[in-house]
Amino acid sequence: MSTINFSAREINFKIVYYGCGLSGKTTNLKQIFEHVPGESKGEMVSLQTEDERTLFFDFLPLDLGKVNGFKTRFHLYTVPGQVFYNSSRRLILRGVDGVVFVADSAPNRLRANAESLRNLRENLDEYNLTLGDLPYVIQLNKRDLPDALPVDMVRSVLDPSGTVPVFEAVAAEFQGVVEPLKAVSKLVLEKLAQKA
Amino acid sequence: MLEPSLDLYGETFERVEAVLANLLVKSHGRYALIVDRKGFVLAHQRAVWAPKPPSLDSLATLIASNHSANLAIAQLFGENAFHESVQQGTDVGTYVEELGSEALLVTVFDGSAALGKVKLFTKLAVERIRELLAEERGPAPTLNLDEGWSDGAVALMDGLFGKRTQP
Repeated sequence: MSTINFSAREINFKIVYYGCGLSGKTTNLKQIFEHVPGESKGEMVSLQTEDERTLFFDFLPLDLGKVNGFKTRFHLYTVPGQVFYNSSRRLILRGVDGVVFVADSAPNRLRANAESLRNLRENLDEYNLTLGDLPYVIQLNKRDLPDALPVDMVRSVLDPSGTVPVFEAVAAEFQGVVEPLKAVSKLVLEKLAQKA
Repeated sequence: MLEPSLDLYGETFERVEAVLANLLVKSHGRYALIVDRKGFVLAHQRAVWAPKPPSLDSLATLIASNHSANLAIAQLFGENAFHESVQQGTDVGTYVEELGSEALLVTVFDGSAALGKVKLFTKLAVERIRELLAEERGPAPTLNLDEGWSDGAVALMDGLFGKRTQP
């Protein structure tokens, strides 16, 4: 699914941040944008409502540099988390290479996390994909909440088999933001190397 | 592959670039881009007189997403697609044509170009590019990703983000 442009010698990957409303997807991209050196990032595009909720998507291109003569680039997207924007979420998943699922640690968001994950599976199914086909990691965000649910409890709902890499995060403070991105990127690169 | 891109490589790529350059001369457009449906730029040309373009990544992403959204709107009304996709501002506009099922051809123009000409020459360019892609071509290049490739990419990521591990 990666786009390989032989003439321009570029390999492009699409990573999508998915999760329920207000889980911190846009915050992840904003933090990455702030902390990545200028020459390695492009403009960040955010299509938001007036109250700064994601309406369509956020977009941030990252340039990793050259590997084996190919410029390697990651395009990071978020989806709108609110339930009623499902058409937009489905469109953004087109051509996805990897997913970071951003889960909210708040007790009252456990059901929303589960529903968002179910929605992700349904939308991937529209493209004849399953989560098993895709490089996929979970970021457990807002670990600084005083009543944050235990990691094992959230994991038992989102990943009962315990096979998906899980990363704890406080995205607003740039904690645990880089690790899931690196992990999913690595999985995407390994998958392409296996296919080539 | 779920979402194939156009196979642009070798001589065909150069000939497609020439088609885009010719499109700009004939239509007096500023920029011509081929973007895939995922929003990646596959080829682009800029008129010699045109100012520096905005970020092509952002432009391609927004064009592809907008096209997908318009397609979804059309389908809500039982249409296969909307056949025209023109955006016109005070100074700048865009015209988008589908290039097969995999890509889009976008012409960005300003007030010095007539919309009719932009449409006509963009459509002709699409036809010409389709002909070029249908011609017999040599085999597509292959990616030779040795074992060191993934390691090299990960090393670059470490350089970009710093070596961090799970807290």
